[in-house]
Amino acid sequence: MHKFLRRNFAGYAFLSPWLIGFFLLAIGPILASLYLSFTKYNVVRPPQWIGLDNYFYMFQMDQRFWKALQVTFQFVVISVPLKLMFALGVAMALDKGIRAIGWYRALFYLPSILGGSIAVAILWRQLFNYDGVINSILRLFGGDGPYWLSDPKYSLWTLIVLAIWQFGSPMLIFLAGLRAIPQELYEAAEIDAAGPVRKFFAITVPLLAPVIFFNLVLQMIEAFKSFSGAFIISGGTGAPLDSLLFFTVYLYNEAFAFLRMGYASALAWVLLLIIALFTAIAFWTSKYWVHYENERG
Amino acid sequence: MSKFNRRQFLHTSAGFAGSVALFGALGRPAFAQDTAVRHFWWGNPERDKRTFAVIDIYNGKTPGVVVSGETLGFADYFTKLTTQIAGGNMPDVIQQGYGVLFEYIANGAVVPLDDFVGKSLDISKMDQSAIDAGTVDGKFYALSIGANSHMAVFNTRLFEEAGVKPGETFDPYAYTYDELKEFAVAIKEATGVAGTDDNTADYQNFSDFTVQKGANLYNEDGSYGPTQEIVEEYWSTWAAIRDAGGTPPGPESAALAGVSELSQLGVVTGKSAMSYLWSNQLVGVQGLMQDVLGAAVYPNTPEMIPGSVIQPSQFVCLTRDSGNPEAATAYMSAFVNDLDMTAVLGLERGIPSNSEVRAALEPNLSPAEKVSVEFFDRIQGKTAPLTAPPPSGSAEVEQTFERLAVSVLLGERTIPEVATDFLNQAKAILARA
Repeated sequence: MHKFLRRNFAGYAFLSPWLIGFFLLAIGPILASLYLSFTKYNVVRPPQWIGLDNYFYMFQMDQRFWKALQVTFQFVVISVPLKLMFALGVAMALDKGIRAIGWYRALFYLPSILGGSIAVAILWRQLFNYDGVINSILRLFGGDGPYWLSDPKYSLWTLIVLAIWQFGSPMLIFLAGLRAIPQELYEAAEIDAAGPVRKFFAITVPLLAPVIFFNLVLQMIEAFKSFSGAFIISGGTGAPLDSLLFFTVYLYNEAFAFLRMGYASALAWVLLLIIALFTAIAFWTSKYWVHYENERG
Repeated sequence: MSKFNRRQFLHTSAGFAGSVALFGALGRPAFAQDTAVRHFWWGNPERDKRTFAVIDIYNGKTPGVVVSGETLGFADYFTKLTTQIAGGNMPDVIQQGYGVLFEYIANGAVVPLDDFVGKSLDISKMDQSAIDAGTVDGKFYALSIGANSHMAVFNTRLFEEAGVKPGETFDPYAYTYDELKEFAVAIKEATGVAGTDDNTADYQNFSDFTVQKGANLYNEDGSYGPTQEIVEEYWSTWAAIRDAGGTPPGPESAALAGVSELSQLGVVTGKSAMSYLWSNQLVGVQGLMQDVLGAAVYPNTPEMIPGSVIQPSQFVCLTRDSGNPEAATAYMSAFVNDLDMTAVLGLERGIPSNSEVRAALEPNLSPAEKVSVEFFDRIQGKTAPLTAPPPSGSAEVEQTFERLAVSVLLGERTIPEVATDFLNQAKAILARA
């Protein structure tokens, strides 16, 4: 042990900023929130142990919990595939040797940098306002746009569009993946008279599967955690009629509007388990559709 | 959660800007020998401007003490305060409202002022009613910085264009919802602007209406007061005005449910000619618009039972975490007594509780403040008695009301259905709290 420490001390010393941060700022709070999830805690009075009551209440009594789950699932299930398809489409368009490609890549990546910010969420609210840009354009063509944000039928779609718009990072990863596909395969396919659709499904998709899988898992986790857009556009409450009550928005409200830190911690743990479950499912299905090039079989 | 980052960023950058300003003003580092007092309030641009000016005056008058100000909008104020309580780093002096003050006294975040009264804190010229409002179980906790009541404000230009004359067409200090409907529609027809905001999702108006119907928002035992009939009648009353064309369309009002920013009021955005608020907000709202505002009470039922109360709008309180309670209470004292400082504050937080301050302000009032003062004179004796502060869980009941009212505005469900749903949820919330 002593010998081990002495030998590796310098290494750990160099790692210490990260290690200290990890244990103090990540593991510590995570364990604290696990403890708090079994308590009633309103911040100003000490936490009070109530066992599993928070979890019982959540699953048996809390209608808004189920509503939040429904909204979040809807968002994940719709926005993630659309975003990936869009990202792949743009990546394939950019993969053709276009001039000044670097500029296009930077340009298309820009929304991903901006997209999570408060400023863009506010901008989005302005765009989709009843008197906003979108409806003004619709009016030019004689149409009358709906109340995008205050009608629960449409409100979630504005956020789905916002999510799709942030296609930059999966696009870059797709681009790298496309570059790695050997051109000979396409040439061989062309000689065999395969059309573009056939080439896409027979060559691009199977060879890109590991990259698609990677993007899918990453974007799914991202979508489950999505917060700031819904928070800003709904005025922090999930309005209208809870149609924007993302799980994280509900969690935030329980914690900071109603000071139920214990209950909010329980919600956070349930979200963690849901994300873990879905990631596990994705990994389990992956063995049926994702094949790596170095695999022999 | 990027919300946090933004707030922290605002906080630190404000603090940084503040200290830069201090270095500039004093020409030497300020932190070594000076006593620091932090003052935290929720506000609006007008209030922030006045309060920072007052802090400058105080710092100029008291060498050795440096007061610094921090401010947030109402929605974020209590979130930040709560995290500060948990972290044990509350500012010395905080702003509190009548509704939530008692929770903070109960949990010990706000401490009694009795030890400082007559020494660093002078309350000899305060109205007794204001002192009573800040006293709990015989201990004095909270220094009232203004009285407040429910107020409707209207755009005098639009009213005039439509030929609606306050005092002739309707009595701004006693008019019914039916009269409101009539002149709201007349304004819409004459000017194209809806006559009034739609208050279907406005809890403040709903609480007013409940008292007008002879009930209380909360009964003595803490249970919820409004009945199915009252909730239904309230929403039907506004539905009638909306259906007649007196308000903006339902979906538009739905987008504003629960929004508390003054800049979103119908009178400010130009979407309507009449909006509803707390009387101390008049000065702030007038600051956001060109047209001159007039004041009226909330509409009433034909029985004319008063529904609005006069209550302290805000208090300043001393916190448990204050390192220099003497310096902090001296600053609080100046905040309500010093004539130079109160002259700057004016009536922006409400009608001051110090008679000497009121007299000194009288000759220099701005037009909006004059409207405020006249309004207060006219409603004396016409208001409801002050009830006990609401129980915990009331904030959530309010949010639930705003949320469910949206389905009334969108016409998704019938009013009786939504009313039943709301009362069930309110009961469940209060039982859980």
